[in-house]
Parts: sequence; C-alpha cells; structure tokens
Amino acid sequence: MTEQIAVPFEQAPDRDTEIMTVNVGPHHPATHGVLRLVVDLEGELVREVRPVIGYVHTGIEKSCEDKSYWKVIPFVERMDYVSYFFQMEAFCGAVERLIDLEIPPRAKYLRTIFLELNRIHSHLVWLGTTALDLGAISMLWYCFRERDKILDLFEMATGQRMHTRYFQVGGVIEDIPVGFEAKCRKFAEEMPIRVGQYEDLLDRNEVFLQRTKGTGVVSRERLLELGVTGPLLRAAGDPWDLRKAFDYLVYPELDFKIPVGTVGDNYDRYRVRVAEMVESASIVRQCLDALPEGPYIADDRKYVLPPRSELSTSMESLIHHFKLVTEGYRVAPGEVYYSIEGPRGELGCFVLADGSAKPARVHFRDPSFVNLQSFRDMAVDGYVADMIASLGMLDPILGGVDR
Amino acid sequence: MSFDPKSASYLDSIEVVEVQRGPKPGGVGGAYRAFGETLRGLKTTMARLIEGPMTIEYPEEKTPVYPRFRGRHKLHKFEDTGLEKCVGCSLCAAACPADCIRVVAAENIPGDRVSAGERYAAVYEINLSRCIFCGYCEIACPFDAITMGHDYEMADYDRRDLIFTKEMLLAEPVERTPLKSEGE
Repeated sequence: MTEQIAVPFEQAPDRDTEIMTVNVGPHHPATHGVLRLVVDLEGELVREVRPVIGYVHTGIEKSCEDKSYWKVIPFVERMDYVSYFFQMEAFCGAVERLIDLEIPPRAKYLRTIFLELNRIHSHLVWLGTTALDLGAISMLWYCFRERDKILDLFEMATGQRMHTRYFQVGGVIEDIPVGFEAKCRKFAEEMPIRVGQYEDLLDRNEVFLQRTKGTGVVSRERLLELGVTGPLLRAAGDPWDLRKAFDYLVYPELDFKIPVGTVGDNYDRYRVRVAEMVESASIVRQCLDALPEGPYIADDRKYVLPPRSELSTSMESLIHHFKLVTEGYRVAPGEVYYSIEGPRGELGCFVLADGSAKPARVHFRDPSFVNLQSFRDMAVDGYVADMIASLGMLDPILGGVDR
Repeated sequence: MSFDPKSASYLDSIEVVEVQRGPKPGGVGGAYRAFGETLRGLKTTMARLIEGPMTIEYPEEKTPVYPRFRGRHKLHKFEDTGLEKCVGCSLCAAACPADCIRVVAAENIPGDRVSAGERYAAVYEINLSRCIFCGYCEIACPFDAITMGHDYEMADYDRRDLIFTKEMLLAEPVERTPLKSEGE
C-alpha cells in the first residue's frame, strides 16, 4: 500500500535507539475497555504489539450451562455490552432453530427494528469515543446525544435502557407501546441529518485526515486469513454482509446498500461505519412502514409463557406457567450454530442441547475477539499515535472479547 | 439459503456502494483546510446553539422514566382487605437468573391472616446488589404481588443495606420518580 506510513526496521533514521517495552493499559482511556497492550517501541515507532486480554473475563458462557434456556437470555446480552440485542438474537435464533419454532411476522419486524437501532447505537459509541481519541471532543457530545435518544426508545418499549431481555424464544416479550412508532420514525428520519452533521465536522477536517488516511492499512487477503469480518473487512473492499448472505429475520425483503471502502485504512473504516448508520436508519423506516399487525410472540405453550390474562381464568395456562418458570422447557439433543451480522462482524452462537432444560454448552463467536487479531498487522511499523487511531477504528468491546 | 462469499449469485444479489475517499491530507489543500474546514466545523457547532440544551440538572431535577421502566421492586397488598398479595410460592426466586430472591413461606393462622392465600412469605428478601433488573420475577408472579417500581436511586454506603426485606419492599417509597407523559 503506497499510502501507508511505515518505516522498515533497517531504514529507521536513528538505529541507535533502544527498543523500549511499554505497557498501554489495562486501565487506559484509549484502549476502550480493559485491554493491555505490550508495545515494543523504537523511538516513536511500534515494532511489536502483544495484546493481553482476559481482564474482564466473566465466565458467562460457563454460567449459561447452569441456567434454563430463558434465563440464559439476560446473561448473554451482558457479554458485548454495546450490542446486547444482537446477542439476544443470536441466542434466541439458535434455540428457535434447535426446537424448530417459527416466529410470527410482527416479531420478525420488531426484532429487525431493534437490531438496527442497536447497530446505530453501537456505531455512535464507536464514533464518539474514537473521535475523542483523535482530539474531536464535540463528536462525543453529539454522538451521545443521539445515543440517548435510542436508549430512550429502548426504555420506552422494553423498560430498560441497556440489557433489555426484550427478545425471547418465540418472538419478543411484549408489544411496542402506543406512540413508539411515531417516536421511532421521527428518530429514523432525523438520523441522516445528524450523520450529515458528523460528516461536516470530520470528513474534510485536516487533523482527522492526517490521523486516519493511510494509517493501519491491512489488505483484504490478510483480513480474510485472520477471519476478520464486518466493517473492517468491508472497508478493505470485500462486500461480505451476513444480512444479505444469510436468510434471517426480514432482511431479504428490505432494500439496503452495502458500503465498501477501497484502500482499507482508518479513513475507509470511518466512512463505511458512518454510511452504515444511514443505511440502518433507512432499514428502520422500511420496517416501520411494513410493520404487520398480529401476534408478537409464537403461540406454542410448550415453549412460550401463556398470556397474563389467562393466568386467572385457565388452570391449564397456570400449570404451563409454573412448569415453564420453574423447570423450563426441554430441548431434544442436538446442536446448532446460528450467525448474524453484528455491528462488529459475524456474531455467531453455538448451542449444544443434551435433552435437559439447560443448554450443555453455549459458545459465542464474538467478532471483537477475532478482529483484535488483526491489530498487530495494523500497528507494527507505524507510529504509536497511529496505533491508538487504529485501535479506536478497530472498535473492540472488551466485554465481548473476554466473555 | 446461503452464499459463497465470492460466488456470482451473492455479488448479484447485493448493491454495493463505494465510500468516498475525501481529499489527500497535507499540501496546499491541507493548509487551506486547517483554517477553512475548521471554520466550517465551527459553523456546524455554532448552529446547534439554537437547538438549546439537551441536558438536565440531575440531582435537582430527576430524569423522568417511561411507564415500563424497571426500577426497584415493590411488594403489594390488597387495597380493600390490607392482606399481602404474596402467598410465598417462590416462583420469583425460581425465575431469578441472578439468584437474588430468598423466600421462606409459612402457614397462615386463621384469625390472624397475613396474606390472602393459604400460606404467606415469612421471609422475603431481595439482594439488590445482585439484582440485574431483568424483571423476570414480575413476569413469573401469578398474583401480581411483586412488580418493578420506578425508583432508580438505590446507592448506599453499606452492602448489607442493599438487602431489602419484606417491610422495606411493602412500604411506599419516600420520593417518587417522575413519569414521562404520553407525548414525551
């Protein structure tokens, strides 16, 4: 890549400089979480990077083996704490495929709306914090202003701003309240204008251009070798998007474009994610337009809690309710891997059932973890300041990396 | 339905848009942008002044919550008889993913009834330092005895004070959290 600022070891201007090993993190604002980077520096040049992970290991995957299926849902959404709806969809979708449960169309649309709102939310957190690392402080306020509106929408519909446990196996736990559609539509129409304002501030800003253009370049082939997916891969020019490639929820019926970059540097990564926010807002609008009436959760008493109104009238419903809450439903032995396009790439969930009411194994393929492996390729032989820019543009969420 | 990443059928089914690259940094253009683009950015920032502040003065003014907001739990009594709705069935404890609810049930004595059912909760404790506010207890309760209230100010100096007993959960909260009105 001609644009990359890289100085090979032999041609370094001052060969007498000693190699110095520096710890960046684990508690460092620029590492976006508790990530420790052991960096070998030769002056200002990075010669080697060793990311050390595990500081927020929570053992959630192991805890899931001890919980019945519906109790796993609030657990898994706490792994990658910025994209909780995606984790719920990955887990619920996997279990639905295991027990062969079809979810009603309204639930599919509602799930898509919340997933795309969550994608915008996740990208806003990334844009705000990364621009802050690069010195653009007002971006943080603007991004968190819009993020707060999304969190308000989540609170209105689900009762909680984060970790909502809104998706359940079979659909969503309750219907959206009156007034949600109008509020959500207003937000989706406002969002492209807001994105235009971010672009006004950053797109042609000289400091931002100097910091991002030509830094952290990794070729598409190398990214594919490392298993990197999501906006990082798309910024390198590969239009791979699971929303188009796999058939899940209502994505086949929606009309959206896939933004791709050309060079694969930090500037392309920024542009791709910002363009994705506009596409997501358009998806939300399309889903609101096409939102069908009907049930919001499947009507299968074996797996889904009976409606609350029936508890006081029907003894059978009460028995189902007690059975589902205390023991949960049993899932026939089998295993499934279900992957969706998260905001950071392919988010997959593997569930192994052994016939009991608890999963025998729950494993997540978290995109942050896989993408972090490409960090060495981005940072080595560049400047230490570019390493910070690359790490921000990589967008790792350490809760997801360590799980 | 699934695709091979490089297959023609996948590439035909998608609409790809290449993002713009923006100007090359440095040079004469860079010198101009250091002033011109910074001023243009300032114009964007200044134009936001008319939108007014988005923040509220928190401790003086509380953030209103939506009706579905899940805050601190409440236990309920029947309004007419004054009897507790909870019958000590422990379904909430069974549903809790964080295992933070402890219920010990006891038989009602005729003449000195505590709850409307045969049994009542002699001990009902919620460890709020473990609670994840998922609201599964509220969903599980068949008698609407426990609901999630709207209070979110629960910080305390001692962990022991965060174990809420039945009396604390039954009592009316001193200060009410404002609710958002319909149009907000």
